[in-house]
Amino acid sequence: MPPAMLRRLASRTVVYALLALIALWLVGPFLWLFVTSVSYQRNLLARPLAFIPPEVTLDNYRMVVGVVRFHAEGQAAKILPSMLNSLIVATAVTVVNLVIGTTAGYAYARFRVPLKTFSLFALLFTRMLPTVVLIPAYFLLFKALGLQNTLTGLVLAYCSFTLPFTVWIMKAYFETIPTDLDKSALVDGCNRLQAYYWVVLPVSGPGLVASGAFTFMLCWNEFIVAQVLNTKLGTTTLPPVIAGMNAQINIDYSVIAASGFLAALPAVLLVLGFQKYMVQGLTAGSIKG
Amino acid sequence: MTVRRFRLSERCFASLLILPVFLAISLVVLFPLAYSLWMSFADVNLLRATGPALELLGLRIPLFRYVGLQNYLRLLSDPLYWDSFGRTAYFVGAFVLETTVVGLGMALVLHERFVGRPVMRSLLLIPWSLSRVVVGLLWVGLLDVEFGALNGFLYKAGLIDRYISFLKSGFSALNVLVSVYMWNQAPFATLLLLAGMQSIPIELYMAAEADGAGYWQRLRYVTLPALRGILFLVLVVSTVNGFLMLDLIYVLTMGGPGNETTTISWLGFQTAFQFFKFGPGTAILYTLTVFCLLLTVLYQKVMFRKLEAEEA
Repeated sequence: MPPAMLRRLASRTVVYALLALIALWLVGPFLWLFVTSVSYQRNLLARPLAFIPPEVTLDNYRMVVGVVRFHAEGQAAKILPSMLNSLIVATAVTVVNLVIGTTAGYAYARFRVPLKTFSLFALLFTRMLPTVVLIPAYFLLFKALGLQNTLTGLVLAYCSFTLPFTVWIMKAYFETIPTDLDKSALVDGCNRLQAYYWVVLPVSGPGLVASGAFTFMLCWNEFIVAQVLNTKLGTTTLPPVIAGMNAQINIDYSVIAASGFLAALPAVLLVLGFQKYMVQGLTAGSIKG
Repeated sequence: MTVRRFRLSERCFASLLILPVFLAISLVVLFPLAYSLWMSFADVNLLRATGPALELLGLRIPLFRYVGLQNYLRLLSDPLYWDSFGRTAYFVGAFVLETTVVGLGMALVLHERFVGRPVMRSLLLIPWSLSRVVVGLLWVGLLDVEFGALNGFLYKAGLIDRYISFLKSGFSALNVLVSVYMWNQAPFATLLLLAGMQSIPIELYMAAEADGAGYWQRLRYVTLPALRGILFLVLVVSTVNGFLMLDLIYVLTMGGPGNETTTISWLGFQTAFQFFKFGPGTAILYTLTVFCLLLTVLYQKVMFRKLEAEEA
């Protein structure tokens, strides 16, 4: 073989070896979570460990959804209701973000807004703010408002860290839509609001999908705020319930893995399903921001 | 005349569009932020809500007893705070370094031409889309001293003769936290860097190649200079994320063993929500907030200069 070809072959080999390594690093741990969730704990404790499980079972999932009784069924019984709570909170926050965050993003992209530089800086700061510093205030304010242990309280709290992202992503997205579109709508007799609602929004699908899916993912995954604010039985979301199971020594890891996999699946599917828009929207929102 | 009326209505219209977000942010961010700041100067007793209060729209918001800088002064003379400070510095430094190096490394490999490129890009999104609670328990499954798959692998390969407890010693646990968080966050850095690489004009590479530049020279003189802005963004974002990391500590170590994985954010969280000392807790968390504010200012300054340079 000529040396040039040989060198090319060598560099190809290196690239594919590195790719295999990266793929293993990215997906291996998640796949292992799935493997453990369909294994018996006794097989996980065996030495040497079998990477292909000798027995496959759905028992862990049956325990988690409450079909099979076991010693920690009280813990497991919280999973499905808290999943519903997660769904409600994440959906509500996403709707709020899409309605008010999007309009603000449009205004920043198109018009001269009073205090533009300052308010954009404030949004950027909010994006980098530790949410945990707000929780003591939420704790006392929600108590005064009677919003402790309610999903409404969580929705309000979650708007604090999602709205800045939505405004930012949508601002970057609207900036890619030619202004001529709005102008021709105005010429055709729309007023400004109509031009936005009937002409610009309908072609903003990718941006809306990106920020909507991102908001939903953030809320679905959020742990600390829900853990601290909603402590009463049945009022919290999925992550605190899973963390609670994880902290209990007497629950088999295989069962915890099953609940973790159930918690992860919606977010992973959502992100993979909308990946094209999310990657575009988030990179544009971050880089231009 | 018509032109002037047009301008005015544009401003009004824009303000109206922004008003809801402005109100929402004031309500759920600015007001709580101010209230937390007040608490950091107060002796907050959660059991006894008597004393001065702010009456607002029929709500009674307790203000507690003002104690000046007491919470902050106690903090600054607390060795645990300074220990946590040091650990936070180590954590942030190691996390930023690992995230940047791994993020850039993955981006360079994924930018090559190969079969199955879209699939590899999708895989990047998996660690990033998981809840940190799931990230934590998933790594428990890999690192545990009884059933961890990594232990199982090393044992099978004959590299260890007994399972290692990765979270038992403080320093090892701290490094595990860094790497696990990096596993979760580096893919996003890779996505940003890949987007940046795609916008580098191919002509630059062709010119470099015509001048006889090899792979590493093209990386050094074409790719990295073009990615400067995005690398800066990655540095700032990962610094902030490193300072604020909390959920993984909760799931993996709870700040232990002892206090050996206690960072400032964990110390603040613990003080406020496990010991229910809101005064000292908010003071600790406010020292973090000031860091974030400084980083935001820095970021803003550099980005604006870059934008102005591009427009000029």
